This record gives sequence, C-alpha cells and structure tokens, in this order.
Amino acid sequence: MTSVTAILLYLVFALGGVGVYLLLPKPGRSQVAAGATVGALALVGLFVVLATQVIVPDTANVFFYLFAAIAVLAASRVVTHPNPIYCAVYFVLVVIAVAALLVLQGAEFLAVALVMIYAGAILVTYLFVIMLAHQGGSPVYDRRSREPAWAVLAGFVLMAAIAGRAVDLPASASPEPVTVTTAGAEGSAVRGTEGNTIAMGEAIMTRYVVALEIAGVLLLIAMVGAIALSQKPVPIERAPGAAKPKPLGQVGREVEPF
Amino acid sequence: MPGIVEYLILGAVLFALGLVGFMSRRNLIVIFLSTEVMFQGVVINAVAYGRLHHHMEGQAFALFLLAIAAVEAGLALGLIMLLYRQRDSLDAEAWSLMRG
Repeated sequence: MTSVTAILLYLVFALGGVGVYLLLPKPGRSQVAAGATVGALALVGLFVVLATQVIVPDTANVFFYLFAAIAVLAASRVVTHPNPIYCAVYFVLVVIAVAALLVLQGAEFLAVALVMIYAGAILVTYLFVIMLAHQGGSPVYDRRSREPAWAVLAGFVLMAAIAGRAVDLPASASPEPVTVTTAGAEGSAVRGTEGNTIAMGEAIMTRYVVALEIAGVLLLIAMVGAIALSQKPVPIERAPGAAKPKPLGQVGREVEPF
Repeated sequence: MPGIVEYLILGAVLFALGLVGFMSRRNLIVIFLSTEVMFQGVVINAVAYGRLHHHMEGQAFALFLLAIAAVEAGLALGLIMLLYRQRDSLDAEAWSLMRG
C-alpha cells in the first residue's frame, strides 16, 4: 500500500510543481491562469490520494480538507504573488487555516496564540515595513524570479522525500482517545482531562520552564538588537541627480508653524 | 480521531512551498514571508508528532517556535529597513557583491 501511495503522491507533487512554476512571476505573457488550473488539479489529486489511500473515512475530515485547501492555496499565492502586500495578506489566510488545523488536532491554546502572534503582531510589522519601503508601481525584482525552475525542483523533491517517508507511518494515532498529559509531571495525568490550556500551562511552567526563561531572555535581546539596528545612522547611496533629503527635524513639515 | 499522516504531508507541502519562495523570490520582504510559511509547516508537524506520542512536547516546542519566529521577524525587519535605506531597493540582487 505504502509504495503505491508514495508513487501517487510523487505524481501529484510533480503536477503541483509545474503549477507553482507557472505561477511564479516571470517576464513575458502571464501564465497565472494556466498555473492556477494545474495547481488546483494537483491539489484535488492530492486530496483524492489522501482520501483513498491515507485517511480513515470520517465525517470530521471535511474540515481537514477545507482548511488544508485554504492553507495550501494561500501558501502558494504567498510565494508567487508579484505584489508583496498581497503576499502578506495571503499569509494571514495561511495562519488562520493553520490555526483551524491545530484546533482539529486538539491544540486550542496554540491555535489562539498563533492567530494573536502571527496575524496580530508579526503581520502588522511586515505590513509596516512594506508600506515604509513601498516604491510605487511594481519594481522589476517583484516581476522576475531567480532560477524558478531549479527552486521548484529542489522544493518539490524535498516535499516528495518527506511525504514519501511519512506514508510509512501508521495511518492514525493509536485508537485510545488523546488525553493530553504533561510529560513527566508525575501524578498530574488525570488533570489532562481539564483541557489543553491547563495541560499546556503545566508543561511549560514545570518541565520546560528553563526553556521558557531562555525564550524570554531571547526576546529581550532581540528587542535591544532591533532598537540598536534601527538607531544606527546609515550613509545613503543616492543616484547623482536625486534631490537632497530634508534634515530630520523638517521632514513632512510643509506649513509655517503658528 | 484524525490521523497523523495527512498532517505530516500537509506540513511537508507548506514547508516546501516556503522553500520554493525562499529560493526564487528577489524581494527581501517576500523572502522572509516565505520563511514564515515554512514555520507554519513545522508547527503543524510538531503538533502532529506530539499527538502521535500523546505528549505535550510537540505543542510546547511549537510555542517556542512562535517565540523564535517573533524574534526573527523583529530582527529581520530591522535589518531589511537598514538595507533598504542604504540601497533604496528591496532587491536581494542588490547585495550580490560577495557572489563568486
């Protein structure tokens, strides 16, 4: 079963690779329609292979298919859309779909954290930088990719390698229901029934507390580093004919003050 | 109960799509967005493996992954702004002086 599944997956991935190659920005006539068609075909093929070979039939699976489709389609647009603002907005879609998939796996706390941190904080920072560095029009480096064929080949070979190994695993988790227990916290196994957030809090406050502290220190260091980076004065290499920028105190002030 | 393999395959797909974007795009911001897509694939895989072993380790690992992603985004965007102010361009090819 597994070798047949793996070969079917390889075929589907090859189709998806062709679709992503067509979608990547290239000079010349737009191939987005063809790429989207081939990519959608590959996604449908992936789901057919999963449904017939891998997934145990279940009514709850419809949510997996729904959110997996959203995640994969939005991710393919993130990496292929020529406008970086659209890339960032499609990435919000990826985050929300992944959060829904985490809920399906019983990781509610992580799903909420993912939406808050990624869609709430990180994405706003990305959008800020995109707006700050926006040049108007679409510059040439957004309309051309660097070696799209080799990148797609490498990426999809990696995908096939991982997925080809993954199908060797047992088709599903062992049949007993998942009681989320904190690893190594003796005597607290029964508390796992109280919910994912409590189990998660116990885990990171007992077994992983050192890692938690290190993560906090890392965030502090990163904050200091980001502030130091953004304060550093930078010599600006301007084109010879360009207008000299105003001194820092006068930027944006067009009207005489009262 | 959902299985494991489909989540692993989905994680592989997201990771590889991010890798394609990381290698082929030229806009610095889109390159870093692609790494965030790769992070999403890794989060799905970590949680799926944690569920396979009935263990909180996968979810705890994914939480620390989120912290690292936040650190990476903050520093990387600061660096991108620095690079943008020097060359007036987000093109990664503008920084190819060290290419052999």
